[in-house]
Amino acid sequence: MSIRKILDLKCDRRKWLKNSAKILGTSLLPVPGIVSELAEAETAADTPERNLATTEASEERFFTAAQNSLVAELAEIIIPADSQSGGAKAAKVADYIEQVLSECADDGRQSDWREGLRLVDLMSLHYCGKSLMESGPDERIAILSVLSQNHAVIELPEVRMFNDLRELTLRGYYTSKIGIHDELDYKGNVYLTEFTGCEDQGTTPG
Amino acid sequence: MVDLITDLTKTYDAVVIGSGAAGGMAAHVLTSRGMKVLMLEAGKKLPIEKEIRSMEWPYDNPHRGKLPPDRHSLTFNEYTIRKPPYGPGFEKSKHLLSYAGNNDYVKNIVVEERDHPYTGTNYAWVRARCLGGKTNIWGRLALRFSDYDFKAKSRDGYGEDWPLSYKDLAPYYDKVDLYLGISGVKENLDQLPDSLFQRPTKLSCSEVTLKRSLQKMGRVVTQYRAGVTTDGLKHNKYRSRCFGRGACDRHGGCDIHAAFDSPTGLIYPAMDTGNLTLRTNAVVREITVDPQTGKATGIHFVDSETLKDFTVRAKVVVVAASTLESARLLLLSKSQLYPSGLGNSSGHVGHNFCEHLCGAVILGQAKDLVGKASTLDDGRPGGFYLARFRNLQERHSKFIRGYGFEGGGGQGMYPQVTGSPGFGASLKEEIRKNKGSYIDMGGFGEVLARYENYVDLDPVVKDKWGIPALRFHYKFGDNEHQMLADMKETAQEMFEAAGFKIVQVENTMLTEGWSIHELGTARMGNDAKTSVLNQFQQSHDVKNLFVVDGSAFVSASCQNPTWTIMALCWRSCDYLVDEFAKGNL
Repeated sequence: MSIRKILDLKCDRRKWLKNSAKILGTSLLPVPGIVSELAEAETAADTPERNLATTEASEERFFTAAQNSLVAELAEIIIPADSQSGGAKAAKVADYIEQVLSECADDGRQSDWREGLRLVDLMSLHYCGKSLMESGPDERIAILSVLSQNHAVIELPEVRMFNDLRELTLRGYYTSKIGIHDELDYKGNVYLTEFTGCEDQGTTPG
Repeated sequence: MVDLITDLTKTYDAVVIGSGAAGGMAAHVLTSRGMKVLMLEAGKKLPIEKEIRSMEWPYDNPHRGKLPPDRHSLTFNEYTIRKPPYGPGFEKSKHLLSYAGNNDYVKNIVVEERDHPYTGTNYAWVRARCLGGKTNIWGRLALRFSDYDFKAKSRDGYGEDWPLSYKDLAPYYDKVDLYLGISGVKENLDQLPDSLFQRPTKLSCSEVTLKRSLQKMGRVVTQYRAGVTTDGLKHNKYRSRCFGRGACDRHGGCDIHAAFDSPTGLIYPAMDTGNLTLRTNAVVREITVDPQTGKATGIHFVDSETLKDFTVRAKVVVVAASTLESARLLLLSKSQLYPSGLGNSSGHVGHNFCEHLCGAVILGQAKDLVGKASTLDDGRPGGFYLARFRNLQERHSKFIRGYGFEGGGGQGMYPQVTGSPGFGASLKEEIRKNKGSYIDMGGFGEVLARYENYVDLDPVVKDKWGIPALRFHYKFGDNEHQMLADMKETAQEMFEAAGFKIVQVENTMLTEGWSIHELGTARMGNDAKTSVLNQFQQSHDVKNLFVVDGSAFVSASCQNPTWTIMALCWRSCDYLVDEFAKGNL
């Protein structure tokens, strides 16, 4: 499988929407905006047990437990742990994202995430032969690469979800203790007796 | 400390409407010279230190410093495609705020947009109805105007000269500097006169690179001239000196009041004289007049919470409600004697409305700072100011007047991520190594005062208290668009000359109002036919009426107005007290 080459998500998704619908069959609810594309697809096959579309989250939480842990994995792919500092998982970015989404007043944003997670699952089934939950790290990186390369195609809900995932991951990570202190070694927000600045203040000709 | 049990039965020497920079200054000057003053503020007194919480880390805030989910602050687009009071699309937001109300620390300082509707052309009108008004969250850039501004007509033939010159105002700028504290560095520029500065902040390394490079072009980058006391003020027990905590930009205010705000800088000291009475939640709806003498007799206000109406009598009425609200109040104060509004025999109230255009925001990167260890760059109240360089000695062929840039470089708490695409280990490393290398700036330019840019009262729409709303008739013109085009060009030229990699240049002019520097709706002048106020901000028509805020400005300059508002107000109030003592009012 070499999906890193795929650049035209808009064109390619017709195939995986069609094929994936064959796999997922009627359990796949039509998604606004792609109904006509789905209508072309034939019905068939059994629903895999573990995919993101099948379980509803409780009212208080935006994600199911499975979705939350998946989002944690995806966020970790966006900002991974390394020798300098912990990554998005250690910074509990998924909980931050879930909080933002569950409190969010924007219906469009919430439905982007619900549709987006489902569509990304279909992508995974098409390209990797298994749901995103079941896929391995390399396969997930490959899926995110497709979305990242197509980040400007914002008419697609899965792209909007990815962009939001990326933005919220950065926001959640770099406002966390790990992000501010361990990763970026931020030195401010302290009481100073003297202002700091460049040693050379440019007062003499350079 | 704030006395809410207000005696409304007596006749005050003066009533001051508004508690921002101008109202606070009027209260300070009048009470310190023995006048008995009632100050009316339309909003409430907030527990401001609890609101601003300067040192709170984002991870200790329930929404990482962002607004709670039931609130929405308007975005750039929403100002251009939607009309206030903002109907469909915002139903889920219980509270709707202006663009400036975009974090958890300022959410209660700006007004509820729905309660304060306005109509007409697009305008990002930022209002802060609370004790101190917008001084609680102002940008702190404290600049003087010069005769390039006061005598601009004499130089280029456009508009009107001010009825005073720099030498008239200079002693009052000095007083403001000493009483409130200002940080900066002397540069000896004619267009940007120096203040009596306290200890300056320091430039970051990328800012020094820009400064050195511009020296060769004859342009000046100087430390942000901040209306902040960096050495402290022995005469003021309410304000601490600045400790470089750097929260001013992150949270929008200063909870130790090193940055000037009207309550701690002016109002509390004025209350300590025993001559100031403060009434909050007092929405003034009309200035009353005596039909026999034609003089102002006081005001009517409605209590914003109980909705009860009150009348207060005063010998002098001082309007300091902010440029647009002051014009609105004059227009609301119609009577048989003054059918077009109080002090409006010239027909100029609401007109000659001007401000600063904002745009040409540029983001660059100092390549020599990539990969460097962390430095403490944001421990200060501001970065740099790049002084006006257009239309000084030479004349630009496409536009008149000038512009300056505000900016800053170096590492902040939240990293700049705009220039880093993708995801994964490479993204993380990229953000880490670039963290201290970014520098940005944005232009502030003079919008010409034009009679045809104006506000009037909407015949239908009213605010929450039944008071007619303001209607805007305001557009940028050709001079502004030509200026913006030049700003964009010079911004890039200067960043390139400094060797910065240009990451982003904002192409769009920000919505009218974005600078929050609205000015000039009741301009001063020597001719009562073409101006509303004389050089002491005294109404030509009504001798005991003064309008002491930004509405008195004849032109906008490109320099930030707060320090000039206060110097002008101090001068006018000195005159007011002299005239009052002589029995001339």
